[in-house]
Amino acid sequence: MSVRIFRWRAIGPLLLFTLLGAVLWVLLADRIARVSAEKIGTAIVGAKVEIQYLHIDLKNGDVTVRGLTVASPHEALKNLLQADELVADVDVLPLLEKKVVIDRLAANGLRFGTPRATDGRVPGDPSASVSGRVMGEARDWAQRFQVPALQLATGKIDVGSLDPRRLSAIPAAQALSARADSSRKAWQTGLDSLRLGAAVDSATATLARLKTARATDLAALNDARRAIDQVKQARNRVTTLERGVTSGLASLRAGVAGLDSAKQRDYGFAKSLLKLPSLDAPAIGAALFAPTAVAQFQRALYWTQLARAHMPPGLLPRADAGPPRRRRSGSTVRFPREHALPGFLLRTAELSFQLDPTAPEPKRYTGRLTGLNNDPAVYGRPTVFAASAPAVNAGAMLDHVHQTARDTAGATIQGVRISPFALPSLPLRLDPGQGTVQLAFALRGDSLRARWAVRSTHVQWTRDSAAQRSTVTDLLWRTLSGISDLQVEAGVAGTLSAPRLAVNSNLDEAIAARLRAMMGDQVAAAERRLRAEVDRQVDPAIAPVRARVTALQADVTQSLAQQRAKLDKAQKDLEARVRDLTRIRVP
Amino acid sequence: MLTIVKLLQSLVKALHSEGTPGQLAAGIALGSILGLTPLVSLHNAIVFGLIVILNVSFAGGLLGWALFIPVGFLLDPLFDRLGHTLLFTPALTPFFTSLYNTPVVPLTNFNNTVTLGSLVFSVVFFLPLFFMARWAVTRYRATIGERVRQSKWYRAVTASKLYNVYRLFRPE
Repeated sequence: MSVRIFRWRAIGPLLLFTLLGAVLWVLLADRIARVSAEKIGTAIVGAKVEIQYLHIDLKNGDVTVRGLTVASPHEALKNLLQADELVADVDVLPLLEKKVVIDRLAANGLRFGTPRATDGRVPGDPSASVSGRVMGEARDWAQRFQVPALQLATGKIDVGSLDPRRLSAIPAAQALSARADSSRKAWQTGLDSLRLGAAVDSATATLARLKTARATDLAALNDARRAIDQVKQARNRVTTLERGVTSGLASLRAGVAGLDSAKQRDYGFAKSLLKLPSLDAPAIGAALFAPTAVAQFQRALYWTQLARAHMPPGLLPRADAGPPRRRRSGSTVRFPREHALPGFLLRTAELSFQLDPTAPEPKRYTGRLTGLNNDPAVYGRPTVFAASAPAVNAGAMLDHVHQTARDTAGATIQGVRISPFALPSLPLRLDPGQGTVQLAFALRGDSLRARWAVRSTHVQWTRDSAAQRSTVTDLLWRTLSGISDLQVEAGVAGTLSAPRLAVNSNLDEAIAARLRAMMGDQVAAAERRLRAEVDRQVDPAIAPVRARVTALQADVTQSLAQQRAKLDKAQKDLEARVRDLTRIRVP
Repeated sequence: MLTIVKLLQSLVKALHSEGTPGQLAAGIALGSILGLTPLVSLHNAIVFGLIVILNVSFAGGLLGWALFIPVGFLLDPLFDRLGHTLLFTPALTPFFTSLYNTPVVPLTNFNNTVTLGSLVFSVVFFLPLFFMARWAVTRYRATIGERVRQSKWYRAVTASKLYNVYRLFRPE
């Protein structure tokens, strides 16, 4: 019996199965495409991408998207953008190569920075997702900037909080007092051990015998010479002791002088307890606006680096993470080829957007995006965006065609509602209102040059009612609330690994001058109070020690002088008598 | 549990189907491709079509698919490494570049490391599996096959409605 190769009667069910698949495609294609687009968009942006409606019309090559919402990856309750409708004219044939080529995209009703009810950020795993890695790198980059903190003295300066245990003069005085006592004892013991009394007494007794002695009394003369030697030895011992006392007294006097130095140090320590504000204008500018400026640069860097990750230069095979599935995802490798179509290409997009949708009469602007693709070397031309209107001038170019990527973006928007600033360390809120915002960003390789500027002439200030009030904040409030102009400019230059930040504003000098004028007097007064407090605590400890050292010096000096005088007199008397006895008399 | 029951049902039906051991083994070998490679790929649609159209055991195909799904999961790291090695072999880059830019071929996901690695593995494994399965079915039928056929349990399985569906695709 021969076995047939084909099972012809299964053709029917197979066709039925295929038909069923086609019906399911018709029914579910839009849904599948919508869910896929949301997933892919979310993975690329690093924040939720939501689509209300998506319809694929393969026959005409149209894809219509309505109600697109892209959450901001940087702010919890804000959207990056919302779009009323996107209509894409898709090339069908490249779909067979798994390539998406959009000839023209019309985006209507784009709005930026709109609020949202839930947090749309997706915490990406830096090791698994491109957006998570780029976000982490941008965050690390922003943390390279050492933004100075603006410290203001808040509340009354409490000098009573000076802890005597932390003052160095008091323990130094106690130590010196102990040293003085021990020196006094040591010197007294030394003086006693010299046995000067015995030498003087012996000399006195010898002198008495000599008064009745004759010149031929050699024994008496020898006793006298011995007594003189003893007195001399006693004098030498006194001299030695005196030398030690002089040195010890010098040390004690140095200790007394050291008490003065310790007191000066205590003044310095007490001063350090005051929270004094920085009075340097550039430092104030950096403290106030650097966090906001760095956040702007960080966002620009995030988008640029994200673009570089998804639009890498070169024609070598590139591996990206594979599709998420129950099985291992693996890596999906792209093999770009020159003069072929990129995996994704948006040839032209016409964008219609609003910058301030909450305005009573929101203005519409138009922009044009060309050549957005994921294989720049294949496409051979940079991606360009341009928007120009009477009050808006924006442009960007992502040039990843060559090995060194060059990304530039610049925008000047006039008459736009600027989000309020919270000023770090100040219980004030700055609402610039409508003004002009400028951002310029250029990243060539890893060399960065960026500038962010804000100008407004209708600044409004709000005081944080919950914050603690102080003289300084009161004065700053009076100073700043009278300022209606705002000019802030921040710049970054250098490389990504070593960026340099400079920030200045018209508020810096105003704040610095006010702080100098007011804080100068206040600081001086506070310092006077602190010096008085230090004096009050230290002087009772220092004064007795100083007196004790002075008294010790006088006592010891006097005592030594007395003993030396006695010895001198005894020696002098003995020598005079010996000379008398030994003088040769001529008859 | 239901999966295990269905797997047993497939196994029993396949082993006692009217097809020859070769038809059954071919079904199992084709089904193994479905199980070893990620399911949602264009090549699997072709393999499924072959199982239906070719005069092989459909139950064998289902059995091969069911048996090799866990094997596929287990061997995914190996497939990933194999696919990575192949896709990044410089000598093969022009070939893959050409495939990548050829219509329809990219829909097979050949440029995914796991897909390519598992497909290459399953193709290489196809003939050994076919011969092993044919020998095993022959041995089974020659030894305990008849006793199982006479059991009440087997009759219960073959009496189910699913069996009727199966009969539509049984080998001729």
